[in-house]
Amino acid sequence: MMSKAFYMAARNLSDSGLDNVPDEFVSSKHLIYSSPATLAFNSPGAQGFGVKRAGLAVPGSVMLLVAPGCCGRNTTMLSEMGGYSDRFFYLLLDDTDIVTGRHLTKIPEAVKEVCEACEKKPSAVMICITCVDALLGTDMERVCRKSTDYADVPVVPCYMYALTREGRLPPMAAVRRSVYSLLTPTKRKSNAVNILGHFAPLFDNCEIYPLLKSAGIADIREISRCESYEEYLKMSQANFNLVVNQESRYAADFFEKELGIPSIEITRMYRIDKISNQYRLLGQTIGEELDDKKYYNETAEIINDFKNKFGKLSFSIGEISNADPFELALSLVEYGFDVDEIFGTVGAVNFNYIRKLAELSPNTKIYSNTSPTMLYYNDEDCNPDIVIGKDAMYYHQSKPAVAWSSESQPFGYAGVKALFGEMSSALKNNRTAGEI
Amino acid sequence: MKNLLKLLSPFAPDQSGAVSVIYELGGLIVICDAGGCAGNVCGFDEPRWFTKKSAIFSAGLRDMDAILGRDDKLIAKLKTASSQVKCDFTALIGTPVPAVIATDFRALKNMAQKSIGLPCLTVEANGTAYYDEGEESAYLELFKDFAVETRETDDSLAGVIGVTPLEFSRIDANTEIESTIKQYGFSKVVCYGMGSTLEDVKNSSAAKINYVVSPSAITAAEYLNKKFGTPYEIISPYIPDSVTDENEYKDCKKILVIHQQISANGVRNIIEKISSAQVDVASWFMMKKELMRSGDFKLTDEEQLIKRVSKAGYDCVIADNNITRALRGYKCKKVDYIHFAVSGRMEK
Repeated sequence: MMSKAFYMAARNLSDSGLDNVPDEFVSSKHLIYSSPATLAFNSPGAQGFGVKRAGLAVPGSVMLLVAPGCCGRNTTMLSEMGGYSDRFFYLLLDDTDIVTGRHLTKIPEAVKEVCEACEKKPSAVMICITCVDALLGTDMERVCRKSTDYADVPVVPCYMYALTREGRLPPMAAVRRSVYSLLTPTKRKSNAVNILGHFAPLFDNCEIYPLLKSAGIADIREISRCESYEEYLKMSQANFNLVVNQESRYAADFFEKELGIPSIEITRMYRIDKISNQYRLLGQTIGEELDDKKYYNETAEIINDFKNKFGKLSFSIGEISNADPFELALSLVEYGFDVDEIFGTVGAVNFNYIRKLAELSPNTKIYSNTSPTMLYYNDEDCNPDIVIGKDAMYYHQSKPAVAWSSESQPFGYAGVKALFGEMSSALKNNRTAGEI
Repeated sequence: MKNLLKLLSPFAPDQSGAVSVIYELGGLIVICDAGGCAGNVCGFDEPRWFTKKSAIFSAGLRDMDAILGRDDKLIAKLKTASSQVKCDFTALIGTPVPAVIATDFRALKNMAQKSIGLPCLTVEANGTAYYDEGEESAYLELFKDFAVETRETDDSLAGVIGVTPLEFSRIDANTEIESTIKQYGFSKVVCYGMGSTLEDVKNSSAAKINYVVSPSAITAAEYLNKKFGTPYEIISPYIPDSVTDENEYKDCKKILVIHQQISANGVRNIIEKISSAQVDVASWFMMKKELMRSGDFKLTDEEQLIKRVSKAGYDCVIADNNITRALRGYKCKKVDYIHFAVSGRMEK
């Protein structure tokens, strides 16, 4: 009987190679432990943006969840959030529906009734379907076309198929495609750009905005900043897209194929040398130099000040945050800090970070939040000075902490500066995880 | 349209009810889903999840597991987990995925018991029923599987069936109810599933009487009565003060109470002592005929609620605010009677 949480040191995990990581790190090979630290894994909609809330990114839209009642249960919580209580509707399936699929014939009428119940006719009705329809093999595109004709409103499917979470098209990638599917080809503008990736905007003070403006780009659009449906439709004018989250690749494909708009992918990172390099490459791609020296120097100074003030701190880093925990850990190690432990999901992309961590910090412990053995995680086995991420906070309630999971998204130097600012504040005020 | 919710949001489902009954009993609980149901149960319907650890897992089913019906893979995962986590039994809880692919839970139970060597409790929830049906099945399975031995009656011991946070909207509902029942002359009171252990369940045949406090508990109480001869009595031991304020009802002539049936009946009994109003009871959940009076009714959908309330002309509705939201176009006094299974709100 194991009475300790399973972990591997970075060096050992790196040595094992991506193809031979232990089963504890492969979610399909074990039961998924359900703890407060894994809420975002099991139920992305319960916190932040899951499929249901994300589907409502289209301004003026409403959502009809077509599913057994259980799938809409946590939406009660969403409905209590500002602006959502009048945007969710439910067509509940009974036990006959889930076996025969007879509910599909009711959807057009339900869409019509939903539109009639709204004070103002919605710009679109997003139909959210779940595992039941995944298994029934429902052709929801066809049902949506029929509903569009019947109710005279655009109707779009959103697939909340948890069963396909690790498949070719996970639900959060599919919904990123769904929310742009109402765009139609229009005349392009050479000075317009879309930022794709999140359902909330990048930090207002992110340097990417002035840098793009300096390159002559006048209109920078993000779906979350579109205040009206008309503004949203202007996203099809873009000359190109900047994809800041890999889960938007499928949406970017749609832009390319259906609207002829190409995309450039950039990544959120916390290593300022890499951020600088990324801006240099972006500038080369769009044919304009992006002068980021000022931002680089400001950020480097903030990091140095932090180091001088707090010394060689040790960190515990979780994955429920606006960062790849392995990249963030690598950044902190490169800045001269210690990372005692990381809670993360090992994958092809971040395995490169693990390899580099193995060289610089071979003894860093790497845990998988979803392993059943996490039931026995003991916070006394690790004594970090500060923790980052909601999951790490759950494990270390008494430590100074930064949740780092705001809805508005950190990116580039602005993200690094804000993180160090929040860490400084947490340490100065001894603001612990338990208090947050 | 029937089953279309335009103003309400979905209530706690059967899998949440099943988990709430066995949450504290030391089992290794597996919700047979892809992840979302486990997230809903733990993150929303189980308030103890944030304060009291329990070995709850998602089966992490993926499309090919469901399409190919890989029960053996699930049992293998369960076996591995049972070697890593201390548990007295295993439990498999259904969701829509096994319902669609017609999983044979009886076969799963046999496979699990044979493979792991521990009792396996199964509840064939499907996510379309409400929490009370899940609770009912879980109580029955629990007593069938573990209350197997006839023990000598202990006159100082009373059992209570039907106490869960979903029913009573309090994380300490058991302590409140235990202290009420101790006033009946029992020194030992056990609320099965809340503040109790699996050993208490095994010892349930020793109880002098079982008190039933929720409709979902009646079937289990009847079972224990049949198997061990333990009598049972239906009581309503806890009503929040906020719904029994005499001043609220002095001008009311016709009142509707909406909650789980036994609690709603308890509220009616109190109001009838302090007011001359006619009080009817309605519920979205189980309405046992033997506990209904003329004028009581079962709620089936949003439109029916609106029609019944307007037609009867109630001048006061006592219900969770999430339900009275559907009555926002109907003018009457509305008293908030929190029901966690409806709104996910706790009393405190």
